[in-house]
Amino acid sequence: MGTIHLFRKPQRSFFGKLLREFRLVAADRRSWKILLFGVINLVCTGFLLMWCSSTNSIALTAYTYLTIFDLFSLMTCLISYWVTMRKPSPVYSFGFERLEVLAVFASTVLAQLGALFILKESAERFLEQPEIHTGRLLVGTFVALSFNLFTMLSIRNKPFAYVSEAASTSWLQEHVADLSRSLCGIIPGLSSIFLPRMNPFVLIDLAGAFALCITYMLIEINNYFAVDTASAIAIALMTFGTMYPMSVYSGKVLLQTTPPHVIGQLDKLIREVSTLDGVLEVRNEHFWTLGFGSLSGPGSGCSTLFFCGFPCPLLFASGNMASGVAVSDGVIKVFNDMKAGSVHVRIRRDANEQMVLAHVTNRLYTLVSTLTVQIFKDDWIRPALLSVPVAANVLNFSDHHIIPMPLLKGTDDLNPVTSTPAKPSSPPPEFSFNTPGKNVNPVILLNTQTRPYGFGLNHGHTPYSSMLNQGLGVPGIGATQGLRTGFTNIPSRYGTNRIGQPRP
Amino acid sequence: MEEKYGGDVRAGPGGGGGLGPVDVPSARLTKYIVLLCFTKFLKAVGLFESYDLLKAVHIVQFIFILKLGTAFFMVLFQKPFSSGKTITKHQWIKIFKHAVAGCIISLLWFFGLTLCGPLRTLLLFEHSDIVVISLLSVLFTSSGGGPAKTRGAAFFIIAVICLLLFDNDDLMAKMAEHPEGHHDSALTHMLYTVIAFLGVADHKGGVLLLVLALCCKVGFHTASRKLSIDIGGGKRLQALSHLVSVLLLCPWVIVLSVTTESKVESWFSLIMPFATVIFSVMILDFYVDSICSVKMEVSKCARYGSFPIFISALLFGNFWTHPITDQLRAMNKAAHQESTEHVLSGGVVVSAIFFILSANILSSPSKKGQKGTLIGYSPEGTPLYNFMGDAFQHSSQSIPRFIKESLKQILEESDSRQIFYFLCLNLLFTFVELFYGVLTNSLGLISDGFHMLFDCSALVMGLFAALMSRWKATRIFSYGYGRIEILSGFINGLFLIVIAFFVFMESVARLIDPPELDTHMLTPVSVGGLIVNLIGICAFSHAHSHAHGASQGSCHSSDHSHSHHMHGHSDHGHGHSHGPVGGGMNANMRGVFLHVLADTLGSIGVIVSTILIEQFGWFIADPLCSLFIAILISLSVVPLIKDACQVLLLRLPPEYEKELHIALEKIQKIEGLISYRDPHFWRHSASIVAGTIHIQVTSDVLEQRIVQQVTGILKDAGVNNLTIQVEKEAYFQHMSGLSTGFHDVLAMTKQMESMKYCKDGTYIM
Repeated sequence: MGTIHLFRKPQRSFFGKLLREFRLVAADRRSWKILLFGVINLVCTGFLLMWCSSTNSIALTAYTYLTIFDLFSLMTCLISYWVTMRKPSPVYSFGFERLEVLAVFASTVLAQLGALFILKESAERFLEQPEIHTGRLLVGTFVALSFNLFTMLSIRNKPFAYVSEAASTSWLQEHVADLSRSLCGIIPGLSSIFLPRMNPFVLIDLAGAFALCITYMLIEINNYFAVDTASAIAIALMTFGTMYPMSVYSGKVLLQTTPPHVIGQLDKLIREVSTLDGVLEVRNEHFWTLGFGSLSGPGSGCSTLFFCGFPCPLLFASGNMASGVAVSDGVIKVFNDMKAGSVHVRIRRDANEQMVLAHVTNRLYTLVSTLTVQIFKDDWIRPALLSVPVAANVLNFSDHHIIPMPLLKGTDDLNPVTSTPAKPSSPPPEFSFNTPGKNVNPVILLNTQTRPYGFGLNHGHTPYSSMLNQGLGVPGIGATQGLRTGFTNIPSRYGTNRIGQPRP
Repeated sequence: MEEKYGGDVRAGPGGGGGLGPVDVPSARLTKYIVLLCFTKFLKAVGLFESYDLLKAVHIVQFIFILKLGTAFFMVLFQKPFSSGKTITKHQWIKIFKHAVAGCIISLLWFFGLTLCGPLRTLLLFEHSDIVVISLLSVLFTSSGGGPAKTRGAAFFIIAVICLLLFDNDDLMAKMAEHPEGHHDSALTHMLYTVIAFLGVADHKGGVLLLVLALCCKVGFHTASRKLSIDIGGGKRLQALSHLVSVLLLCPWVIVLSVTTESKVESWFSLIMPFATVIFSVMILDFYVDSICSVKMEVSKCARYGSFPIFISALLFGNFWTHPITDQLRAMNKAAHQESTEHVLSGGVVVSAIFFILSANILSSPSKKGQKGTLIGYSPEGTPLYNFMGDAFQHSSQSIPRFIKESLKQILEESDSRQIFYFLCLNLLFTFVELFYGVLTNSLGLISDGFHMLFDCSALVMGLFAALMSRWKATRIFSYGYGRIEILSGFINGLFLIVIAFFVFMESVARLIDPPELDTHMLTPVSVGGLIVNLIGICAFSHAHSHAHGASQGSCHSSDHSHSHHMHGHSDHGHGHSHGPVGGGMNANMRGVFLHVLADTLGSIGVIVSTILIEQFGWFIADPLCSLFIAILISLSVVPLIKDACQVLLLRLPPEYEKELHIALEKIQKIEGLISYRDPHFWRHSASIVAGTIHIQVTSDVLEQRIVQQVTGILKDAGVNNLTIQVEKEAYFQHMSGLSTGFHDVLAMTKQMESMKYCKDGTYIM
């Protein structure tokens, strides 16, 4: 048993660690409530499983799995408390926010796997329908329903509240919204009750209980035992429908993908960056979400779900917040999640690296809190006149003053600094109008390359200092305002300068 | 329900203004609606009538008489030969095809009528084309038209299922003594044989037949639309087509009436009922439908038409044999027959309600293009939507081509190829098992087959992950799709834990209450499984020698103690695939491998428990074995889940920990370097180890030199996707000049209210 020997040591320390962390969490008053609910949940689930085997009803089993899912969501809530107390360790350098995401993902996936199991069992039951005893069926339903609703409504489960708002709507929600909209068409007074987005968990609990009630009725009246299987399938499908969008959302966070809702803002910022003076190209952009809703920034431990009923579209157009926007039922919600990212910026040989770095960081910092910008030049060795052997094509490259675009592509691959393979030039499926590594402005390239050395440096300083004066000159509230207009004006100013530049 | 709220302006031509609730028809439409309702009512009567007639008259004769009457009437009224342009030879051929198709559909229709009675026929067959077309578009295309349509389609399917499953038709009881082979003609006999072969009751066969006929009818109508324009109007086409089909059926009827003796006593008494049927089912319905479709919207026509026909079908279903309706019945012959055939049942009522609902929803005008994607906001602040989605969706490639392409992709790389071959074997085995189980009526085999399918889902996921992981990087997946493999491995680990949990629960239940096992059937199957498994283990033991000692196997389901043949193939398939992976880095393959190993050791567990039970009669061995297996599964999965978790949580890769430590120390010794901060290194996928680091240097060093040096050091340490930010003192001065930072952002978000008023164009970029 090589396995067990291998595992004994880490396991013991693992349990010790677990106990220590548990004590840490248990010190919080809020977690007492969760623990209490967890214990009640365990008792409740035990009873329900007993009743499941006594009634032999698979629909009730499917419903019980929802109660087990509740237990997972309570655990997730505990984890999110724990996460807020932990600081990043050297090994987990990004902190533990992702643990929350992982917990949400795992619990939704487990719920779906349970539903899959139910589907399999019901397929077997269609072949040989066993008899269902209705004795405890209704009791079990109502115990589970009341417990589920009580848990959902009395515990403020931050991660799940966030995911259920941020993820796309499930089909169950869509149908309920559709039905309630047509209902509101008949009775307009009900719109305040029905029109807001329904909580998916409450919805699935109610729908499952409804299915079980129908099952009970039909079995009592006519002994249609097949209804039990049918409603088990219905509950399993509803579980799939409810959990799937959430697991997709959290899975995408885990996959380090760029969240689709910030792509517009990101594009705008990158376009701004690529029009900065001296910047030739922005590439290898990787932006991804670190964790769920927390106000981003170093040292900010407050993980608050930030959503406000903001009817102001100017905010989003200005692109000044690290936020996602969800428009649901007329109420605009802002999700503030934590982003991380890295980007490579290729600059002109004569540009001031530190200043470009500062400007780029300044632009992107509004959206991405954990940001790393690598500045690189193509042939930085040459002006420094070092005796390092230089590849022939690099020399060729710099000798030409007017650079055709294909050559630029060629140099991309040769560049020793960047390691990421070049992205495909064909438009990717998700997003059509801007591929990574293609934020190149050919006009800028031609102009900047032909400028004499040293000129750009002076040129770059002037707007910066003027803006600095502008920004610092206005105190108080005006400071931010002045700064803002200063920021947003810069690209256009740079642009006009460049266009107005006479070619040598 | 929808358009009440929507208040749509399309109130129909001549609808008298688009404002107000549209459901209340204007006075001009009312008469058409009344006419439509009345016609549909008569059609229901006619169909009930024809059911009675079909008991006496042979179906081909019946259709012949029907067509003859209709053709006579329509030729008389439409004068297809004297009016309109002449018909070419080519068009005659088309009319001939039309007539053949029409005959086949009416044959199916009336045969369905004899099988499942008029009520169910009306419910199933009397759907207008628009309903069926929108149903099919919901089922088979992605852009069905919103959740309402989906609901309608679901209602339709539920209604059909209700008819199939919950309808206790008395014919089903009669089916048992239905002697095979005494049918009137070869045709009906053939149809009966087909239905009997499918293994369903006559009544259910009728339901399926009618659904098929409905689809055929819709396709037929759609296809004949162009022809009717060519010929010069649908009515002329109908008249000619009926005439041709009369000629077509004529020889058959003659042969039939010569060879078989008729059950009809006097044809004279049948004239009246036939006249009713011809008039109500064929002629009046056709004319009124064509008038209403001109005067009203098609969707409205469909809705007003379906409601009365279903309601009257329900009413007649209840009252047809009742004395009250004797007046309506032209054919009194069957009056004294007991009313046990095709009576109203709970299932029929429920399905009728669902049919009415679904017809209502599906026929409502679809609101295409209402679901746009939000693309932004106009300068005035109104949201802008993109409605172009539909146009792009239709440019998908054809299905065979897609399958070919993806097969090619799958077979390109060893990982996905191995999974694919194994999946194919697994599925093959599953279907053989299911088929054999159905054939021998062995429930155990069938349930084991379902179990295999359940297991296959993990393989399918692994295959997808292996396929997707090779996709090119996109805007959203900026590092590439490689990380999907890790996520898939994680999900597979969870899957195994779920399986272990269920096996555990099952075995605990069996420990408490051990069931009697029937082992004699199990022995040959499990011994065969063992042999194949041993071959498989031999095959991959040399190919795969790395640190998989940890993954002790496991097994699911010794409760389903049936054959586990294919596990042998499994390892066989896996042995090759796992060789090149090396180091167990590919979490996806590890997950799949664990799954396969679980199955393998499961079959060994079955054999062991079988031997113990057979030799010693220890029935407790089975649950104990399951318990042991469940524990083994969970133990073997723990390392996989732990590793996947660490990667997903962006941990410093443990295998590079030491090298990175050394590398960071080396970095600190670089000339001109002051310090470094925020070193983040994580494994993104099996092939990518990413890292970001901020480095502070003195102001007299060249940044690019530092970048090169640090890159070199870190690349040696194994990081292959690097971003290095080199900062000098100037950077911090610039930053403080720009006064950027987190506090600034915070301040800005607080000032948003005031920002709203600066309308000087700063926010429109």
